[in-house]
Amino acid sequence: MELNYVGLVAAASTFIGVWFGHVAVRKIESVSPTLWLPTIAFGLAGILLELLSLLTPDLLLSTATGILGITLLCDANEFSRQQHRVQKGHAPANPNNPRHARLMREFPAVTTLDLLKREPVGKPVTPTEAIKLIAQH
Amino acid sequence: MNLFGLTLGIITLLMIGLGFVWVIRGERYFGHLWWPYVMGFGVLLILVSLVISSLWTSALLGAFGASLIWGSTELKEQAVRTEVGWYPFHARKILPPFAKFIEKWKAPHL
Repeated sequence: MELNYVGLVAAASTFIGVWFGHVAVRKIESVSPTLWLPTIAFGLAGILLELLSLLTPDLLLSTATGILGITLLCDANEFSRQQHRVQKGHAPANPNNPRHARLMREFPAVTTLDLLKREPVGKPVTPTEAIKLIAQH
Repeated sequence: MNLFGLTLGIITLLMIGLGFVWVIRGERYFGHLWWPYVMGFGVLLILVSLVISSLWTSALLGAFGASLIWGSTELKEQAVRTEVGWYPFHARKILPPFAKFIEKWKAPHL
C-alpha cells in the first residue's frame, strides 16, 4: 500500500506554523520597540509563501507553504493583539522595552508577571493568591 | 496556478480558529485533564491521513489532527486563565476516565 504524505505535511505545517507563531509573536512583541516592523515583516513573508504556494507545481511544497504562509499572515495581525494583552496585564510587560515602559506608565493593569506560568489548582483564585502561586511554581 | 495550498491554508486557519472555541468551551465543561485523549485522537487522525488516497481528505485530516494536538497543549493554560478570572470558571467538570492518574502527569505546554 502506498502512503499519502499530503496529510502528514499538512499536519506538520499546521503544528509548526502555530507553534512558531505562538512563541515568536510573544517574544518579538516583548523586545521590539515598534509594532509596525514585525507586522510588515511577517505580512511580507506570509505573502511570499502564498505566492510560492500558488506558483509551485509540487503538491507537498504547495501544501506546506500554503499553510505556513497563512499562519504568518495571522501572526502579523497578532502583534497588536499581543500588545493589548500586555495592556490588560494578561501577558507580561518587558520594562527594558521603551514601548512597554510607556504602557507601564499609562495602563494601571500592566504587570511584569506572567500569571499563567503555573499548574492549575482547580478553583478560582484572588489576584494575591494568583501571584503567590506563580512564585511557588 | 496551483490553488491547493492557499485554499488548504485558509481552511486550516478556520480549523485553528475553531480550536480557540473548543479549547475555551471544552476546558470550561470538561477540564484540562482530557488533554491525553485529545492529543491521542489528533495523532490518530494524522496516522489515518497517511492511508487515505484522496488528497483533500488526507490534507484536511492531517491539518485537523495537528490543530487537535496543539489545542491539547493549550488546555492547561486555559484552565489557569479561568482560575484567575479572565474567563468564566465552571466548578463542576465532566472528568475523563483515569483522571486521577492523568493528574499526576505534567500537562504539556509549548
